[in-house]
Amino acid sequence: MSPALHRVAITGMGCISGLGHDADSHWQACRDGRSGVETIRQVDPARLNIKVCAEVKDFDPASHFPERQLNLLDRVSQFAVYAARQALADSALELDSELMRRTAVVLGTGAGGMNTLDNQFWRLYGEGNRRVMPLTVPRLMVSAAASHVTMDAKIMGPAFMISSACSSANHAIGEAFWMIRTGRARAAVTGGTEACLTYGTIRGWEALRVMTPDVCRPFSHKRRGMLLGEGAGVFVLERLEDARARGAKIYAELAGMGMSSDAGDIVFPSEEGAAAAITGALEDAGLAPEEIDYINAHGTGTAANDVTETRAIRRALGAAADKVPVSSTKGVHGHALGGAGALELVAAVRAITDQVIPPTANYLEPDPDCDLDYVPNQARPAAVRTVLSNSFAFGGLNAVLAVRAVD
Amino acid sequence: MTDIEDKIMEIVARETRRERASLSLDTELSEVESLDLVQIIFAIEDEFDVYVPQEDESFKLDNLRDVVEGVKLLIAEKQDQSAESA
Repeated sequence: MSPALHRVAITGMGCISGLGHDADSHWQACRDGRSGVETIRQVDPARLNIKVCAEVKDFDPASHFPERQLNLLDRVSQFAVYAARQALADSALELDSELMRRTAVVLGTGAGGMNTLDNQFWRLYGEGNRRVMPLTVPRLMVSAAASHVTMDAKIMGPAFMISSACSSANHAIGEAFWMIRTGRARAAVTGGTEACLTYGTIRGWEALRVMTPDVCRPFSHKRRGMLLGEGAGVFVLERLEDARARGAKIYAELAGMGMSSDAGDIVFPSEEGAAAAITGALEDAGLAPEEIDYINAHGTGTAANDVTETRAIRRALGAAADKVPVSSTKGVHGHALGGAGALELVAAVRAITDQVIPPTANYLEPDPDCDLDYVPNQARPAAVRTVLSNSFAFGGLNAVLAVRAVD
Repeated sequence: MTDIEDKIMEIVARETRRERASLSLDTELSEVESLDLVQIIFAIEDEFDVYVPQEDESFKLDNLRDVVEGVKLLIAEKQDQSAESA
């Protein structure tokens, strides 16, 4: 007989994105439809075709990390540690010697330490230098961010990273959720992080021909594609009963998770696969389609994603799809790839706590193939109790989270 | 103090975040953390344009005196090689 599952509370949030350096400023810009997209600073825009992105701006790592620690941190790890510190402080969780051993760290990233890889390989291939920096490997390894969060916060429970491209954060958060649910961990620090706005990576994205040169307009007529973002979102999860017992501030309950794979195309998404993940999240949370008050869409702003996602929502929700507000916040924070689900979960959770649905920014006019209520351009006050947050990755790896209000 | 010794002391002080005055030729490498040591080796290779061999029995490094003598040896070998090829 399987043991009873524990309910899981979200009690801390931290964030850094192109919209700001904390969860509040990230949320406020999402809510106000205020874009963080600007001309790129990390790479000389003259060398790029796509010159804009939602970059983390004015982040001075030296003011947050001592030199010795900073030497070990790729930008992707800096973001993770910085957001994890915020989330832990926000949760006021006391990691005593018992709890620090029963707390997990599960983070997602798509690319890992791309800045280190790009810079060091430039030495080899660009400059003709024969050597790379000695800390190249520990900085660029995909799992580095999780290691640094454990070291920074002295967390000694299960820790690892999950990589599933643009679904990495949702898969990671879902895994942490299941660990607490089943008793494999008592609490967790979880989310996603990405920092791959390097010359090489952007060139790769340009070659895929999925990016817009100017404005990202999810679900809108005349949309021209996605824009890259970066950043990290990190959450503290714990048993709902523990959170209540210690009188913690509880943002919401993480209520369910659905996963699927398209087994189809490496870039083109499938309606059936995405719908299966949405249905899975509903069933796991014990929610009927009519109970969903808001969907934070994957909504990349590409021709393919937005139509497929619209159809997937219709397939999964049936008649209820006509009544559910759906928005994509990627128009303002860009596509943060392995960190995307985490940046969007901040918005999904705040939609519940603030009772307002963030808009789909930059929306012009309806596309006949995208026929849902996309909350265009203006935030909408609403009674929001249950939310879905979608992530559908390249390679058909889908992960959907269900969140609900706690009374 | 030779030029080589001076530069090595400077590198070690920087990479170990120690006062230069606290270092001497007798400073033991066992006092240096492993990550700092790889950074020191990297910096020495950069400074003197040499390759510090690994797992070479004849290249035994216990203290900074060994490092200075070893680097002098590597520089001499390099000069011999370039004389031969000239």
